[in-house]
Amino acid sequence: MEYLLNQLVNGICQGSIYALMAIGYSVIVGVVGMVTFTYGEIMMIGAFGAFYSFQFFGNNLALAIVMAFASSFLLGIVVYKVCYERFFNAPRHIALLCTIGFSMLMKNLVQIVFGPEQKPMINIINNATYTLRLGSVAVDFKLLQIVVMLLVILFAVSLTLFFNRTRWGVALRAVSQNKQAAYMMGINVKRTAMLGNCIGCGFGGIAGILLSIYYYTVSSTIWGNFSMKAFSASVLGGLVDLRLSALGGLCMGIIENLGITISSATFRDVFSFAFLIVILVIRPQGFAAKKGSRV
Amino acid sequence: MSKVQAFYHKHRTILLLAVFAALCVLPFVVTKALFVRYACNILLFATLAGSLNAINGYSGQMCLGQAGFFAIGAYVCAIFSTRFGVNFWLLLPISGVFAAMVGLLVALPTLKLQGIYLSIVTLGASEIIRIIAQTWEPVTGGALGIKNIPYPWLFGLDTFRPKYYYFIFLLIGVLFLLVTNRVLKSRVGRAWISIREDQIAAKSLGVQTSFYKSLNFMYGAFWAGVVGCAYAPFVNYIEASQFSTDTGFNVLAMIVIGGQGTLLGPILGSMIVTVLTESLRFLDNWRYVIYAVIIIMMMWLRPQGIAGASHSVLAGGKIKRKPLRREGARSHG
Repeated sequence: MEYLLNQLVNGICQGSIYALMAIGYSVIVGVVGMVTFTYGEIMMIGAFGAFYSFQFFGNNLALAIVMAFASSFLLGIVVYKVCYERFFNAPRHIALLCTIGFSMLMKNLVQIVFGPEQKPMINIINNATYTLRLGSVAVDFKLLQIVVMLLVILFAVSLTLFFNRTRWGVALRAVSQNKQAAYMMGINVKRTAMLGNCIGCGFGGIAGILLSIYYYTVSSTIWGNFSMKAFSASVLGGLVDLRLSALGGLCMGIIENLGITISSATFRDVFSFAFLIVILVIRPQGFAAKKGSRV
Repeated sequence: MSKVQAFYHKHRTILLLAVFAALCVLPFVVTKALFVRYACNILLFATLAGSLNAINGYSGQMCLGQAGFFAIGAYVCAIFSTRFGVNFWLLLPISGVFAAMVGLLVALPTLKLQGIYLSIVTLGASEIIRIIAQTWEPVTGGALGIKNIPYPWLFGLDTFRPKYYYFIFLLIGVLFLLVTNRVLKSRVGRAWISIREDQIAAKSLGVQTSFYKSLNFMYGAFWAGVVGCAYAPFVNYIEASQFSTDTGFNVLAMIVIGGQGTLLGPILGSMIVTVLTESLRFLDNWRYVIYAVIIIMMMWLRPQGIAGASHSVLAGGKIKRKPLRREGARSHG
């Protein structure tokens, strides 16, 4: 029981990182209207940005997060120019294959530039552990987990505010709902789509730094699986809805961590993908209320 | 170009027989064992890419998990031949059927889904297959893999030499091309192509899309399983990491570069990719960069691939269509 509860806490923490990834992913898919397979590499660039920020500018978490956001944001511009801009009116699989190509390109370029080995991420948050006693059951919280969860909530709330309270956010929502109509309202659709892509990428970068702090490592090769998790979580939420995607990510984190308590840790990915497939069989639209996906 | 095509259509049988004869003599002319090995790889991946092309290029579904079906074939062959000593030639269809069954399992939940949902499910299924192969130690050998897979019998030739194993791949490749060619010209193949071009129109013309889509999936998976079965004795040792998603993306890159929706495309793609990765070995990681740039360039310039079906939805927005004009909309207004 105690072990299960602790795993639940781990699951919620990991799930909240997945939720942040899924939110970024859904912003990209919603605004641009096309899926991406470069998300893992975008997260990796964010993590590397943070890694070098720690190396050159000292142990400043806020600065590292800004660096991660900025580097992924800038990479988002390149991704948009290479993979999306020309293909708005083409069949969807063309942009998809283009992102797969770009992901291969980034993976190998990063291995050449930054080296193929795994780099240790510095332990920015100390290893304090707080224990919550519920009667006879003790649940451990690491400080790291609390910080990660708080950061995820902070970013999710600020993104929601951005989408609902600013002119840019409204323009992004308009483009995500209907490009043609947005165009008629005088919105620069291409620029807004690029902004949406970059914001989604930036959130991917922040998720990347949180993951690399959580696992204490940065490397060029471990990110492929996480991008698929982001994709799956976003699919669970119906691909375009931010809140449901976040819920999907949270569920996946919990299912994974509860799953590996009853089996071995190698089955982590099996649980998340099996969960995805089962949900899609029962409800093809994911958690979304109706079939509204245009992708 | 049209002259070449006209020439080809006129002397088709002779030309194809000549190519086949040249391929038969190849391992005796090329004496260096390394090059024969490359030739084997090209044939192997040409058939594997062909099986993926049967799914992606002909029915327009986006399967990203071909490595999973490939793995099923390879593991079925390895397990049955090392444990029970089943004959390789018997195992070829058996592993094909196993892979096709898994293909059906993957296809069934995805019948309601389309496009990107299908891709993520196939990708997830391929990962699940790989992880199970990696962890199910009593059967698949876990991370250690399966060693000493017996070489197949081929008229008493010692098939542990690539020179003779080459003929097994050639046989499977030719068989695949012949069967697929017949299938594509039948009712089934036409149904697949109609689904690719416009699913709603196909449905309205009475094509049972879900039936033909799952059939298509099973067909592609079957051949991937057969190729996997031929692959296992060739490398003599299999383990789970040989069937990662990168292998799947590699095969996908072949049909992207070579061309989708034609039988020639995957063969060309397999040749280009294998020659490129083997000849640029001295460039180390840079060759994958070049390779990725080629994929992106291909999407920019010729989305259907070098030898792809140009008159199809695969070619993107590049098909010239007659502009729709409403009569008298302007002239009288």
